[in-house]
Amino acid sequence: MLAWILHRITGLGMIVFVSLHVISSFFTQEMGSDWAIAINTVYESIYFQFFIVFCVLYHGINGIRIIILDLWPRMLQYQKEMTWLQWLVFVPIYGLTIFIMIQKLITGG
Amino acid sequence: MKVTLKIFRYNPETDKKPHYDRFVVEAEATDRILDLLESIKNYQDGTLSYRRSCAHGICGSDAMRINGVNRLACKALVKDVGNKVTVEPILGLPVEKDLIVDMEPFFDHYRSVMPYFVGGEENPKKEQMQSPEDRERFDDTTKCILCAACTTSCPSFWASGEYIGPSAMVNAHRFIFDSRDQAAAERLKILNDQYGVYRCHTIFNCTDACPREIQITKAIGELKKAIVTARLD
Ligand code: SF4
Ligand code: FES
Repeated sequence: MLAWILHRITGLGMIVFVSLHVISSFFTQEMGSDWAIAINTVYESIYFQFFIVFCVLYHGINGIRIIILDLWPRMLQYQKEMTWLQWLVFVPIYGLTIFIMIQKLITGG
Repeated sequence: MKVTLKIFRYNPETDKKPHYDRFVVEAEATDRILDLLESIKNYQDGTLSYRRSCAHGICGSDAMRINGVNRLACKALVKDVGNKVTVEPILGLPVEKDLIVDMEPFFDHYRSVMPYFVGGEENPKKEQMQSPEDRERFDDTTKCILCAACTTSCPSFWASGEYIGPSAMVNAHRFIFDSRDQAAAERLKILNDQYGVYRCHTIFNCTDACPREIQITKAIGELKKAIVTARLD
């Protein structure tokens, strides 16, 4: 059930925050409105970026797992193993991304 | 050892809303939760209501939520659930009294998938043969005891009681993949509906809940594939 819940949360996360970002960028550019700048500042903060990267990566990899299960129902019997495999793929990729992001932050790249 | 049970109580004739009662029962680690309920009913509170019949995991009447998980009370042992036990009715069906829910909506879904054998000829002269391999194809889904543990553990079913639910699909699978049966196409048509297979989001709660260890999500996956490819394999 956790994977299913996370899939919904990360999906919503992407929709809400990416569209918010697009809208606020538009208003920042067109009118320089304060609230739009405020939203963009939050969006660009490193913690928020961690969250968005989590959403995109988790949603994508979980989606691939679901597609595999849909195409080969036989694999549904091994869903526990599939879920572990999914984390095994997710953790290094996410970890590396975060590592690079922090490195860039520190070195100012 | 002493086991404390917190049990969901609701009497539609006297209570406005449900509440929980606590009971302490002396029990062995190998006792079943059903034994504890029987002991409470016999010695502490005769009004406690629940369904049970076989007490051996085969009639499917005593599915309930035990410490938040759907199980048969007659198969759940004290040593597996601990000495603090919360017992509640299964979710998603109207509570009639205490642990008894109205199973009719569940059986309506069951009946809707034609859960019976549809043969070819009217009065066949001899028995219809089936190879062991063909029999094996649907063996897993023959084991269902209609306890409703799966359907009432499913968030899609909680969200909408119109969803046909995993149990009905398990029973449809049992006939659809039977090489002798003639009504597979008809059943697949019933399941090819917004309240049919498409409400399954592979959450896997049903597979975890099934006391018969049926690979329910797999069966539903096979039905989805059969609908999409119009082939049974
Ligand atoms: S599939 Fe399993 S959990 Fe669902 S009704 Fe049948 S026996 Fe109970
Ligand atoms: S009493 Fe029959 S299954 Fe538990």
